[in-house]
Formats: sequence, C-alpha cells, structure tokens
Amino acid sequence: MKNFKTLVKDLAPKKFGKLDIIWTCFLILIIFIGIAAYIDQLIKGQEVTNMRDYALWGIYISNFVFFVATSFVGSVTVAILRLTNNEWRTPLVRIAEIISVAAIVMAGITIMIDMARPDRLLNLFIHARLQSPITWDVFIIPTYMVISLLLLYFPLIPDFAILKKYFKKKDPKLSKWYGKLSLNWTGSVAQKAIQTKSIRIIAIMIIPIGLLLQTIDAWLFSTTYRIGWDSTNFAPYFISGALVAGIGALISVIYVVRKYKKLEDYITDFHFDKLGKLLVLACLTYLYFNVNEYLIPAFTSKKGESIHLDTLFTGAYAPLFWSVTIVGLILPIIVLLFKKGRKPLPMFIVGLVVVVGSWWKRFVIVTPTLLHPFLPIQGVPESWHHYFPSLHEWLITVATLAMALLIITLLVRYLPVIPIQRTADELGLMENDKIKNTES
Amino acid sequence: MKNPQKFRYIFLALISVFLLSTNFQNLHAQNAKKNKVRLKANYIKIMDSLSYIELTAVSKIKKQNTKVSNIELNIYNEFDDDKIKIGNVITNMKGESKFIIKNLNTIKPDSTSTYNILISFKGNDSFKKSNKRISFKDANIEANLIKKDSTNYITATLINASTNSPITDESLDIQVQRLFRPLRIGEEFNNTNENGTIIVPIEKGIPGVNGILTFEVVLNDSDDYGTVKTLIEAPIGVPIVDESTFNQRTLWSPRNKTPLFLLIFANLIILGIWGIIVYLILNLLKISKSKT
Repeated sequence: MKNFKTLVKDLAPKKFGKLDIIWTCFLILIIFIGIAAYIDQLIKGQEVTNMRDYALWGIYISNFVFFVATSFVGSVTVAILRLTNNEWRTPLVRIAEIISVAAIVMAGITIMIDMARPDRLLNLFIHARLQSPITWDVFIIPTYMVISLLLLYFPLIPDFAILKKYFKKKDPKLSKWYGKLSLNWTGSVAQKAIQTKSIRIIAIMIIPIGLLLQTIDAWLFSTTYRIGWDSTNFAPYFISGALVAGIGALISVIYVVRKYKKLEDYITDFHFDKLGKLLVLACLTYLYFNVNEYLIPAFTSKKGESIHLDTLFTGAYAPLFWSVTIVGLILPIIVLLFKKGRKPLPMFIVGLVVVVGSWWKRFVIVTPTLLHPFLPIQGVPESWHHYFPSLHEWLITVATLAMALLIITLLVRYLPVIPIQRTADELGLMENDKIKNTES
Repeated sequence: MKNPQKFRYIFLALISVFLLSTNFQNLHAQNAKKNKVRLKANYIKIMDSLSYIELTAVSKIKKQNTKVSNIELNIYNEFDDDKIKIGNVITNMKGESKFIIKNLNTIKPDSTSTYNILISFKGNDSFKKSNKRISFKDANIEANLIKKDSTNYITATLINASTNSPITDESLDIQVQRLFRPLRIGEEFNNTNENGTIIVPIEKGIPGVNGILTFEVVLNDSDDYGTVKTLIEAPIGVPIVDESTFNQRTLWSPRNKTPLFLLIFANLIILGIWGIIVYLILNLLKISKSKT
C-alpha cells in the first residue's frame, strides 16, 4: 500500500527529460514551419491552397471537425462516467480534460485559419445572423472552451494546494505559481462545498453543451442541402463519431503518459480494459449510424446522390472510404472484442488507428460532397473537379495538430495528470494527513 | 564637292515627299469607302396617349449588321413638293431613337390625307448619307369591354380618322400584357367586318395583379396606317396571390427578420449558459475568500 508521500511523489509533475525536450522542440519546429506557411497564405491569399470554387471547404474544415469531435472526450469521460458512477474513471479524467481543452482551442484556431480574411473575424459577431448554424458555431465554440477550462480547473484547485506545499523547497518559483492557482485552498468545509457543487454543475452542464457542439457541427453541413450532407441522421452520426475520435485520442495519450510518467500502478490494465469496452460501444454506435447514413441512401438515392455514393463505394474515394470504415472502425471493434485486444499495447495501436481513421473520415465527409455541386459551373477547369490539399495546407494542418500535442505536452508537464486529492481520498487518506505527510 | 546646291535640292525634295505623304494619307482616308446606313422607321400611335416614329439605324460592316449609334437624323414633313423640318433625333447605343409627334395636326397631310415623312441622315466621315420615307394615314381604334352571358368580350372598331369611316378587312390583334411579352388571345386573325368592328371572347382564369388585366387591341404594322394600339384595363382577372415570404420572419430571411422563436430560445440558451458560467467564475472567487 502506498503512503501519501509516495502518492504525491508519483503524481506530482516532473521536469522534462531529454526525450521530452526533443519531443517539444520537434513540435515547436513543426509549428514554426506551419506559421511560416500561414503567413505566406495571409500574404498571397487562399490561392496557395488547392481550394477552388468547388472544393471551397478543404482540409482545414475537416481538421476543424476532427478537433471538435475530439474535444467531446471531456464530456464523455468526465461527465457521463461521473453521472453513471463509474469509479474507474478517476485516473483518466484529467487527461481527458486536457485533451478536451487542447482540441477545442485548436478547433477555434483552425476555423480562423480557414478564413481568408481573419481581420474580419469581429464581423461574425457584429453581423451575426441567428438563423445561420455558422453563428451558432461562433457562440458554442468559445462557450465550450470556457466550460472545458472550468472543468479542468475546478478539480485541480486542491491539487494545486498540494503541489504548492510539495514544491515549496524543491522549486519555490513553481510553488508560487501553484499557490496562486490554488486560490488559497485550505480544504475548508465551505471551499469543498463550493467546489463540489461547481463540479457537479459543470458535469451536468457539459453534457448538453457537448451534444450541442457536435450537433451544431453536424448542422453546419446538414442545413446546406447538399448531397451527402442533407441528412436528418447527421447530428447523432457526428455525436457517435465524436465519441470514437475522443476515446481513441484518450487511449493513445493515456498510454504514452502512463509509460513515460511510469504510472502503471495508477493506470492499470483494468482501466484499459474498461476504456476498450467503452471504445467498442462507441465504435458500434458509430457503425450503426454509418449504416444508416450510407445504406438507406443506397436504396433511395436519386441520380445526384447515386453518383456521390458511387464515388465513395467504387469510385475515386473508395480506397479512403473503405479504409476508414474497415480499418478505422470495423477492425478496432473486432480487436477490442477480445480480452487480449484490450491490453495496453494493442489498445494503444487501436487508439492510434482510430484517431487516424477519424481524421480521414472527416475528409471523406467534407470533400466528395463539394466536388458534386448542385449547380455545376459551365466549363470549369478540370482541376476543380478534384481536390487534394496543397503543401501550404498540409504544413498548416500538421502544425495545428502539433500545436494540440504541444498544449497536451505542456499541460501534462505542469499539471498532475492523475487527480492527487481524489486518488488519496479513494485510498482512504485524510486531507490533513496528506499535507502533513507531504511536508515531512 | 562639285555642286553643293544639288544636295540642298535633294534634301528639300525628300522633306517634301515626307510632308506630302501625310497629306496623301489624309486624301486616302477621305477616299476610303464609306459604309451605307440603312434606316428603318415605324409609325406607332397609342390611343389617348402619344404617337411616335420608331427609328433604327443599321449598317453592314464587314458582312455583319451593326447598330449605328450617335448619328443625327432629321425628320421632314413632305407635302406638295415641299418639305418642312419638324425635328431631329440622335440614335442611342443600340442605334435606336424615337421621334415623338406631340400633335399630329402640326403635320400637313397630302390631298389623300396621307402623312409623308422623310427621315434623312446627311452622312459623316464613316457613313454615306441616307434617306427613308414613310407614309401613313391617321386611324383610331375604339375598344370596349362588354359582358354577355357571363362571358367577357372585347369589341373594337377601327376608324379612318380623316374620313371618320370604318376600316374593313384589317386584322386586329387582341392581347393581354404580361411580364416579358403580351399574350395573344382569341383567333389568329380577327378581321374587321363591314362596320370596322371585331368581337373577341376573353377566356376565364387569366391571372393579374389585384385581378386587373390590361388588354391591348393592336393594328399591327399596317401598310396604310402604321401601328395603332389602344389599351383597356379591366378587373376581370384572377388576383395573383403573393406567396413571397420576403417580409416575413423566416429561417432564410436576413438578420433583422429572424423568427421570434429563434431569437427568444437561442438568446435564452446563450444567456442561461453564460449566466451559469459567470456563477461558476464567481464561485472561484468565493473559494479564494473561504479559507476557513
């Protein structure tokens, strides 16, 4: 049995090792290259992308949808597992909250990258038209961002107080920062009551808001009356897809954090097993909605939609479509149905496959529809009938992904990735003892 | 050098050739073949309104019919070997112009009560001079709407204005005004009888704004009388129901016409959520102040 001292020692943030520094520098380098490409895009305009009159939404939008989907993980693991009293969530929630924050921040940035004139951003608020789902998106993303930050911050307050004590002698400067962030936390009855109540409110609130975020994201497409998007199924389809992307990302990050922070005692095979079952449930739900989304139109489609479906099933996008469906969705279900498949390493591989599959799935949702416009332009250049991102688009998109990973890396560096107080409580240690033990 | 004077003459000769050559060019331009302008003229009379001559100037340039714009056309009244200028017009970009005859009494007819009009273009640097003559007699159309056995009819009588006698065996068009071009009703040919009259039934169910239909009775491009037209407005159409949602609050209208339910619910949701967020942020302050 661990005592409180070892618990805090295990869970307190640790300095970057050599590998961490290399990793961080690598991410910063990618980000800088992306920023340079973005500056060039700002100077030359969207001409540097391969987006044209047909494919007017490209990789930026599919990347944005991916980030929005991934940010859903906070709502799922924290709120839903909390409300359903799944105690095994404890060592996983903080990482889920971190991923949520990183993803929603990057979703906001990515959508701005897609704007040819970001200097006109304020116009979205000044000239907001409430009938437009884009306006709803403009409101929901900052809202979800703030709630995700609050969801991350409230449970952290007691941990900050513990870390303030822990680092008092080791790193006074860091201790001072933790002290400020701990908001004079003493663990008083009044403070605990306010904190518990606040967390409960956020946990309840983030579920409808998370669902709203995914729904609005889906409505951005389904209200445009385009073939492949014009579907009443789209909102639940996106929600279930977000579950898959979010849990996949969570599993991947948890595996890496567990390995490099040596948290095997806290995040055990049991947790991976549970997460694996959760991912199977998510994948099965998503598969069900995929069947709805593609099988029914295959029966009822008119000419335009038939062409679109042919493009996906047997045409130019068939390799990608079947890859994301079979490798990114069906194969993970099969692997995870076996107990051996729910061990950490297979789970990590499955998680990565699911994340990559989820990213390309958004590409399959966004691009083929745009290449079949309702009103085709007469005599358009042949190149407009096809879309593949330009070098600028790739560099910028990879930089946004690197930025998300950098946010996760920095938060994992400075925050306890497993809630210290809650774990201590579950191990039966009193709060006063904890602090004394830590000081001793 | 034997004779330097010779060079002076050669030099002067060269200068002269150079200077003259520019004049030759001008001469060449003056002698260049000018294009011919073809003038078209139609006399149009709208009853109880105005009469005018519709003019078009066209030229065949490089085997293509081209509208001749911005040329001046003089209009003359010809009678008894005499001609009096009654006005002038300038063609527009489409090569068209309209000469409005304010009062037909100011124009003198010949002994057969025929008005003879000469349209003359005196020519310019690009086009040769050109003339066009038109002749017409003055005619009137008297039209009425009548109802017989619940069917509406248009009766119209074509009269020679100078002799006040009916004009027989001329075809009149009956048409109802529509957005792009008039809709013909009745038979293809409605020839006037011995009284100069026609009677044409109007089919039911023709839509019109507020149920008002504007009928045209037209003597179209007659050799003797030109075009004579009279208009009759009648509230016998089926009123057009405006199905436009332009002024309504809809999901597709501009932001100042947002549906009220959307305004109320969306703002309530936004305010509700941000109210809770503010409350949560205040809770952070409360935690900070609740040390004990």
